Amino acid sequence: MTHAVTCEGLWKTYQRHRPVGVKSLLLGATIPADTRFAREWALADVSFEVPRGRSFGVIGANGSGKTTLLSILLGTVPEDRGRVALSGSVASLLELGAGFHGDLTGRENVVLYGSILGMRLAEIRRRFESIADFSELDAAMEQPLRTYSTGMIARLGFSTIIHAAADILLIDEVLAVGDARFQAKCHQALREFRTRGGTLVIVSHNMKEIREVCDAGICLELGRVVDAGPIAGVAARYEERVAAAGPGKAKGGTHAQR
Amino acid sequence: MTGLHASAAQRSLPQLAELLYVLVRKELKARYKNRFLGYVWALANPFAFAFVYWIAFKFIMRLDIENYSLFLITGMFPWVWMSVGIAGATRSFVINASLIRKVRLPRAILPLGNVAQEMVHFGFALPVIMAFLWFAGEIRPMASWLWQIPLLLTVQVAFVYPLALAFAVANAYVRDIEYLVGICFSLLFFATPMVYPIAIVPEAYRRWFELNPLHALMQSWRSVFLQGTLEPGLLAYALAFAAVTGVIAWALYRKLAPRIGELV
Repeated sequence: MTHAVTCEGLWKTYQRHRPVGVKSLLLGATIPADTRFAREWALADVSFEVPRGRSFGVIGANGSGKTTLLSILLGTVPEDRGRVALSGSVASLLELGAGFHGDLTGRENVVLYGSILGMRLAEIRRRFESIADFSELDAAMEQPLRTYSTGMIARLGFSTIIHAAADILLIDEVLAVGDARFQAKCHQALREFRTRGGTLVIVSHNMKEIREVCDAGICLELGRVVDAGPIAGVAARYEERVAAAGPGKAKGGTHAQR
Repeated sequence: MTGLHASAAQRSLPQLAELLYVLVRKELKARYKNRFLGYVWALANPFAFAFVYWIAFKFIMRLDIENYSLFLITGMFPWVWMSVGIAGATRSFVINASLIRKVRLPRAILPLGNVAQEMVHFGFALPVIMAFLWFAGEIRPMASWLWQIPLLLTVQVAFVYPLALAFAVANAYVRDIEYLVGICFSLLFFATPMVYPIAIVPEAYRRWFELNPLHALMQSWRSVFLQGTLEPGLLAYALAFAAVTGVIAWALYRKLAPRIGELV
């Protein structure tokens, strides 16, 4: 079976490269203690594979390294160690509004975002009607983006990437802002995307969505893979751990105690 | 291994050209929306500068330079294109942080967008410069401009882009660069014969002024506009500088750009 996404022994630290100002050059930068949001390894020895046509979920608490993982898969951030390989073209929706401009209309933003994703202008023009239909934004397509709600921006972004004809989609927690009906529509579109042979990697805190959309997945804790396998099991065990920990302070030191 | 993995989208040249076009159009559209006077603002800046220097040097300092207003205008527009383009490009990675971090695109295209965008403004200004030359200096449009102006546009892009790219990369690592670049170009404006002709520089120092590659570029624009001539020596010098900075900037970009996603 061919793998669309391969990730082998991936390590990533955030400590070594930070923007410097004259002040920190003169005074020296301090290195924070190893805590949940400030630790040496953002990702530690992460490995997984996603076969072509499958959908892969990444779950875990805030600060567990999910977004870092997607950034490395996308290639906007380099890995320190390990191997990442994606076979095929990639489209991403990692942040609402990234690549959009508030003063441009919805239509103009579709052209902008499509072009950033690597679509040709002729392709965008050809698919525009279909993108507009999917988004259900109607007349708002001709309004500037700054008048949009976050849900509308999500509609615009999702409608564009689902038409980008990419082989691999990376989606980070952006569908949560859409209304229930649009989410259902997105999930349907993602299923069709996979039957066409597309591969999906998605980060979400919504376990219902993860269960519905994904086949398999991993759970990250402090940058380490603590659970992997078929999604039903991974999601259930994650929910158990969250319930067991209770609403009090999250156990920041799990990995130090191990 | 520290490089970005290559699997995500190597783009073809037409794709890159379209992306550049879309990015430049975005900036221009966003800038001119809701602005009644639109592109008049792009002209206002160089004209205002030229006017101030004209008053200061012609009337107050009583500098006796022939056709001083033409001399100022023909240098000011290419200078503003260069300096505004470089200033914008230097900040381009930091300002487009969400593009850098959350979308995969060839990052080198962002500073190129700033340079191209200011070139478009310069292009818009060309008819106004020509009209000014005609009415204020009785210099009629020349046939040689048809090849000289496109040639110089190309040379200036080749000259400015490496600087823009290098400063953009450096500014992602050390944010002080953008202020440093701003001050440097303010000083360079006076170090380059822009408001005075090089002929009035004392002979002992003139050689040093001629070593300034910016002088070669700006003097070329003036001689095209005022005489319709291009001095091959100046052009070659500007191109040689562009080639050297081009190699350095590209090496710097290749080495340092992958980390920018974590820095902005």
